[in-house]
Amino acid sequence: MSGAVNLQIPAHAEYLDLVRICLYGIASKMSFAYEDIEDMKVAVSEACNNAILHGTQASGLEAIDIRYEADATGLTIEVASRGTGAALAGALSSAAPAAEGDIGGLKAGGLGLYLMQALMDEVDVRSTSVGTAVVMKKYAAMEP
Amino acid sequence: MRAEPFQIVAEETTEAVILDVSGDFDLAVVPQMRSALEPVMHRTDKALILQLGGLTYIDSTGIGVIVSVLKLRDELKAPFYVRDIPPAIMRLFELTGISGYLSSGNGDQP
Repeated sequence: MSGAVNLQIPAHAEYLDLVRICLYGIASKMSFAYEDIEDMKVAVSEACNNAILHGTQASGLEAIDIRYEADATGLTIEVASRGTGAALAGALSSAAPAAEGDIGGLKAGGLGLYLMQALMDEVDVRSTSVGTAVVMKKYAAMEP
Repeated sequence: MRAEPFQIVAEETTEAVILDVSGDFDLAVVPQMRSALEPVMHRTDKALILQLGGLTYIDSTGIGVIVSVLKLRDELKAPFYVRDIPPAIMRLFELTGISGYLSSGNGDQP
């Protein structure tokens, strides 16, 4: 399976399940393992969460474009939205898990980027002409 | 795959308030989860238990809610237990580093 599938959703959380369902369909067709598909479901949702939570907030008008591109090496997912990704790009290098010492040191936020990095093989944040794109890739399993 | 509808069923026993959480716990249902937690998370007379056996999906927004409850219950010195964590969900708790703070209250790992 190769080629790209594009999905555009309104920048609203109630559409997140559609992004996961579409990912599931494509990744299943590419014969990804169950665990890899679960990883990608979380990662693509995290990228959309960022776009929804840190978008330009012009409610109802904004859209998120999700591009799923399959080739022999794996599945590349691009999540593009309006709004600046400056904070996102900076956070990419400092993303870390929650645990540091006692419970008081636990952070309730900021785990999304860390999870994307932990769950995908490649993650990159790029500026586009209209906003920001998160591009991530999961490698296909090597043929035995 | 179908998107599993998010559902919270609350139950109160003599010792605990139990929230049975099932389906996909994502950003869309954070407000619903917060309103279910709001009336019970400050109660120190009973333990608060999250039953996650039917949970099919969680991401950082859902984990963030659990972390905020964890911190609040710790400050209140009130018991908070998380039980029946499915393996795929447990993996995310481990990756994000919160698994070590979760207790099932049964003397073993959740």
